[in-house]
Order: sequence, then structure tokens, then C-alpha cells
Amino acid sequence: MLDKHADYIAAYGSKNDDYEYTLSEYLRMSGIYWGLTVMDLMGQLPRMNQQEIIDFITACQHECGGISASIGHDPHLLYTLSAIQILCLYDSTDAIDVDKVVEYIKGLQQEDGSFAGDKWGEIDTRFSFCAAAALALLGRMDAINVDKAVEFVLSCMNFDGGFGCRPGSESHAGQIYCCTGFLSLTGQLHQVNADLLGWWLCERQLLSGGLNGRPEKLPDVCYSWWVLASLKIIGKIHWIDKAKLRTFILACQDEETGGFADRPGDMVDPFHTLFGVAGLSLLGDKQIKPVNPVLCMPEDIMQRLNLKPELLNFFLPMLTLVLLHHRNLEIIFSHA
Amino acid sequence: MAESEEEVDVLVQRVVKDISNAFKRNPNIDEIGVIPCPEARYNRSPIVLVENKLGVESWCIKFLLPYVHNKLLLYRQRKHWLDREALVDITSTLLLLNPDFTTAWNVRKELLQCGALVPEKDLYLGKLALTKFPKSPETWIHRRWVLQQVLQRFSAAACRSQQQHGEMESSELQRSPMLSDQLTRTLHEEMKVCCDAACRYPSNYNAWSHRIWVLQHMARGNIKFFHDELSSMRVWVSMHVSDHSGFHYRQFLLKELMTELSQAPTSSYASQNRPSTAPSSSPPHPSHTEANGELTGAEASGDEERQLNSATVLQLFHQELELCSDLIQSFPGHETLWSHRRHVFYLWHLWRRDLEHHCSCNGDAEAVYASSDSDLQAVGLQSHVNGQPGADEAMEVEGTSLPDPHDSKRLKRGVPLPDPPSLTSEYGFVSGVLDSCCNHEQKRFAAAYKKWIDTVVNQAR
Ligand SMILES: [Zn+2]
Repeated sequence: MLDKHADYIAAYGSKNDDYEYTLSEYLRMSGIYWGLTVMDLMGQLPRMNQQEIIDFITACQHECGGISASIGHDPHLLYTLSAIQILCLYDSTDAIDVDKVVEYIKGLQQEDGSFAGDKWGEIDTRFSFCAAAALALLGRMDAINVDKAVEFVLSCMNFDGGFGCRPGSESHAGQIYCCTGFLSLTGQLHQVNADLLGWWLCERQLLSGGLNGRPEKLPDVCYSWWVLASLKIIGKIHWIDKAKLRTFILACQDEETGGFADRPGDMVDPFHTLFGVAGLSLLGDKQIKPVNPVLCMPEDIMQRLNLKPELLNFFLPMLTLVLLHHRNLEIIFSHA
Repeated sequence: MAESEEEVDVLVQRVVKDISNAFKRNPNIDEIGVIPCPEARYNRSPIVLVENKLGVESWCIKFLLPYVHNKLLLYRQRKHWLDREALVDITSTLLLLNPDFTTAWNVRKELLQCGALVPEKDLYLGKLALTKFPKSPETWIHRRWVLQQVLQRFSAAACRSQQQHGEMESSELQRSPMLSDQLTRTLHEEMKVCCDAACRYPSNYNAWSHRIWVLQHMARGNIKFFHDELSSMRVWVSMHVSDHSGFHYRQFLLKELMTELSQAPTSSYASQNRPSTAPSSSPPHPSHTEANGELTGAEASGDEERQLNSATVLQLFHQELELCSDLIQSFPGHETLWSHRRHVFYLWHLWRRDLEHHCSCNGDAEAVYASSDSDLQAVGLQSHVNGQPGADEAMEVEGTSLPDPHDSKRLKRGVPLPDPPSLTSEYGFVSGVLDSCCNHEQKRFAAAYKKWIDTVVNQAR
């Protein structure tokens, strides 16, 4: 089945439907990252056109240092991270001006520690993750004010242990992945209330075995990844029913065309294909390379970069909820 | 059907013009959509305007989108020149078809900065795009940027008129009727846009987090507005019992109200009409102008105000849990409702803790937390009686009427307040559900709720 998935991704890149291509061009760089990462996880990266992709990335770097989704589009932190992830897969960060990219990211940090997505100033904890992940991959975390950045992310923590996009916003599995990932990269996972957050994350598992991103939403392969990766980061992956989740993810494959969909029976796409395969890897599938839960990249790349994002260890005697002291709740609340 | 490049060129230019003419002909278009129609019909534009609805026939989109898309990108790479009018037309066509095309919104930001576009026009375009794409993150992001511009213009205008009337206090200016009217209108329009998008897509994270952003930036400290939001949302959530985001919004409102009311007396309801101490650089608040004859100045001492605010908080939480109980009983098996209950009870629990702490520090005789483990008499009301909650007045304060300190007379006269929510009442509620309900999901949620208060609230005491 893995070969079929690889064929699906390889064919997707060469398909050239004008209309479809235009509709999604605004996120092209991330699309390429999804495709290449899933290929690498399946050991099929050499099938992709390395030089063409690297040249494309070089052409997408702007004067300001930021990188855009495609040529002629405006630079943005989201695509800057995707581009750096791709270059790390290919061990080719020298294809861009790294100093400039670091300056660009640094320039997007605000006084309160948060990050804007681009020069127009939208604030979101997703962008805090993008900044930290990009700088960690480049080994330049010292360029930003990490303490302030951490302070802002923690100010988005809610009483249920989860995180939202900004202070006061609802907890959301995608944002939780970004925030726990960010705290891992900055070595601040002890600031997470792992028991409370783990509780919330486990409640995302539905009878089908799939996970949703918020209460009463449908299960989805991509949310399954975000919840599962967050659980892995905070050392609570054993709190869900792994076998059932595996069954759900496998049911989302299209056995004829290859690729994964969000839910069984829906149309497949590269995005859900990556998160399906990455999810199976986190669940221990031996046919797939081990994936790093924080950066969603193969572990062998992390080793080459000598990057070890912090993970909470579930063998340590964890503070149980029963012992949870009121003081901790107050701390949570003051960030809520 | 058009096939050659030149034919496509002519066709698309005509369609773009048709769209911009439709908006000129009818400035009140309130919804956009695609009309399924695989084949072109001769001598008929694919742009259809029926009353206030603008439709695009599906056959033309596959020509239209790539064409306008590439045109804009060529312009962005300085390979093709477009004048401002053409840019406005092209970007609006483009964004109505593909509203997450960030760069097109950015072009409009630049047009707005150089004065070729007014903010209202962009807010309108976004609103239309949201009728077809209610989640579109880039549309919401652009909206916030435009609203920031509007706010900056307001505060700049306030500064200018401050210079003209040197003696006037900035706080007075912030209340200048014209400015605050406009801002209030913008605020209400935003609420409408959010509500519409929330109705079109359930648990619409982007719509609800935008709504929170708007309140944080345009209604900060405006207790009246927060109260109004809470009461107007009551009906909405009752009809959308699975909408976790809608309920989170209520939690946000409750927490803001609780925080504001705890900061008495400086930020209390009564003092809203006193000159504010906000720096003139901050955006003006659309303040309400109701005079509060009851409680101004020396009449209400700080303590008294604090007590009234405490009573208001108690009533807010009491009513919220009543609402939650009603909905849980009427709509069994909804995780959202049980999750809401956790949040509300937790907020209440925390507020009570703070109060206890405050009282024991100040030795406030009237407001001592003199309770057994289950009961709260700490709201500082001499009038609290141990009556059954079913018989008290809050039950009559149904629907849209929320407690507010205008009720102070009633409170002063010593009308009984509802029993405060407590662990005992929560355990009672849960066992009631477990005993009487046969819905499996409902039982599961009730048991989880019990476990949650056991561990998170009870153990933390
Ligand atoms: Zn998905």
C-alpha cells in the first residue's frame, strides 16, 4: 500500500490542472513540504525533482529575507517555515540567504513576544511556532527574545490546559500542537499542565477511533495527527486507544488511487496523506521511518541536524491530578 | 465556448466588468454564489443578479480564475502594469472566487493605504466573501487589519480635535458623539458579520475568535456591551447546542464581566460615566451614555459597590448554570454543554476563591467567607437567605434580562439572592442526571463531569 501512496504523491506533482493549481497556489510551498516529507517517511524522496524544487525556493526568497508560497506571492512566515523544512530534507539551506531569513523572522517579533505572520501584523500562536521551528532548524534560536515569546504563548493557555490562537481564544487541537511544539523547541514544556491538557486531548478520541480537534466536531486524519503529536510531546500518548486510531487512519486510505482523505470515503489529498502516514509512524508502524512529533519531519533528519526537541517522559513519576494543588490552577487561570 | 487565448481574454475582461457593474447597479448585494451551469449560453452574461444575490455561472469560473490570478501575479512581479481601478476590479473578482489568496488582500491593503480604497468597501467585500466561504482565514485576517486602520483613524481624529480644543479632556473627546456613533455602528456591523458566518458553519473557530478580538479591541471595559452580548447570545446558543465555539464565547464574556466587576470600584458599572483615565492614544471606547442615577460618586461607597458587583457576578453564574442545566436536560448527550458546564463552574469556583482571599486579607466583616464547605455567603449580602433556589427571583429573570446593578435598589432592600452554585449542588445535579436519564452518551458525559470536578476542583481546594 505504501507504494501506492508514493505513486499518488509523485503523480500529484506532475498533474497540471490550471484551475486546481491556481486555487491552491497561495499555499504551494507548504504543499511541496507535505509531499516531500511523506515521500521521505516512506523512503521515496529520490523520486522527486530535487534541483527544480531548490531553484523554486531560491526564487521565492524576497529582498526582505522572507519566503513566499510561490513566485510573485508575498512572503509569509508560514511558507518561510515550509521552505526551510524542505531545504533541511535536502540538506541545502545554503540555497537561500540564511542571515536574511533570520533577520526577517526576528523582525516579526512584537513587543509582547508574539509573532506577526508577515509585515501586515496578524498575531497568532501558529506564527510563534513557525518562528521557533524555523530558527531551531537553522540553529539560530538566539536571534529572538525567547523569554518574551514563551510568555506570550503561555498567555494563550486556557483553564482546560489547551491553547488558542490568541489570549482568550478557544482551545483548538491545531493551536495546541503549535504551542506544545513551541514550548518543546524552547525547552519550556514544564510550563504545560500535562495532566489537564492530556485529559482534554484524550477526550478528542471518538468511537470510530479517530480524533477530532474540538468537542462535537467530526474525526479527521489531520486532527488525529495534531492531537497524537501533542500527546507524544507531553508524554501521554499511551492515554488513547492506539489500535483504534490506527484502524481509523487506515480506513481513510484510498486503496485504488493511494493517498489518504480526512475521513473514510472522502477525496484524498497530499495534506491528509502526510498526516495519515506520520500518524501511523507515531503509532509505531515499522514500515515507515520514525517521525519527529514536533517538526513533523523524519527523525534521521533531526539527527543529522543534531536537533533534539524536548519531549516529556512518561516514565517519570508525573504529578497526578489528584495531587494537583490549587496554586497550579491559579497559574493556569491567570493565563486563561 | 471560448477557446483561443484572445477569446478567453475578451470573455474574461467582459465578465470582470460585468461583476463590477453589478455592484454599481446594486450596492446592496448581500450574498454571492455559484450557479451550476456546465455550458455557456450565447448572448448571456454568466453574471446573474437576482434581487440582492450575485451569481456566477459555473462554466466561466475555470477561465475566469486562472486569468485574473495570473494577471495579478504578473503585476506583482512588475511584468504587467495595472491601474488602480483595474486592480480594484481584479482583486475583488479574485477574492470572491478564492478568498484565501493572501497576496490579493495585500494588494488591497496597499490600495487602502494610498487612498484608492475606503475601509468600508473592503469590509463589505470581506462580508460577501464570507457568505460563500464563512471560514476563510485570510478574509478574517484582512478584516482585522482593516478594523485596525479604522481604529487608528478614529484616534487620530480624536487627537486632532483635542489640539483644536486644548482644554478639553481626552476622555471627553472619546465620548464625542459623532466618533463614538460611527465606532458603535462598526462594532454592531462586525457582530452581525460574525453571527452570519457562525450560522453558516458550525463551530466556526475563525468567526468566533474574530468576535473576541473585536471585543478586546473595540469594546474593552464596556461592561454594558458585554452584558448585552451575553443576553443576546442566549437564544443563539440554545438553538446551537453543539456549537462549542459559541459556548466558548459565553465563557469569554463571563470571564471578562467577572474580571471587570471584581475590579470595583474603579471599573464598575457605575463609574463608567466618570472621566476615564485611558491614555488618548488608545482607541476610543464606544461608551454607553446611560446615566446611572443610583450609584454615582459619593452615594455608593467602594464597599457597597463591591457588594453589588459581587451580587451581579453571583446572579450571572447562577443564571448561566441554570441555562446549562436546562439545555443539558432538553438536549441529552451533547459534549459541548457538559464542557460549558466545566468552564462555568470552574470560573465560578475561582472567583469565589479570589473573594475569599480578598475578604480574609481585608478583614471585611460584612463579606467574610463564613461558609461550610458547600455554601457561599461571601458575596457580602446581608440579605442572603437559605431558601431553595427554585423559589427565588432569579428564576423569573429569564431570557434576555440579565442582572445589572440597576437592580441595586432591590438588592439594598434585601430581596433574597439565589443560592450560590456549589460542589454540593453540582454533585446533586450529576446524580439527578445519572438516576433519571437513560441516554448512554449523557451518562458518560455526566460521569466524566463528576470525575472532572472531583479531581480538578475538589482536590484543589
Ligand atoms: Zn483534516
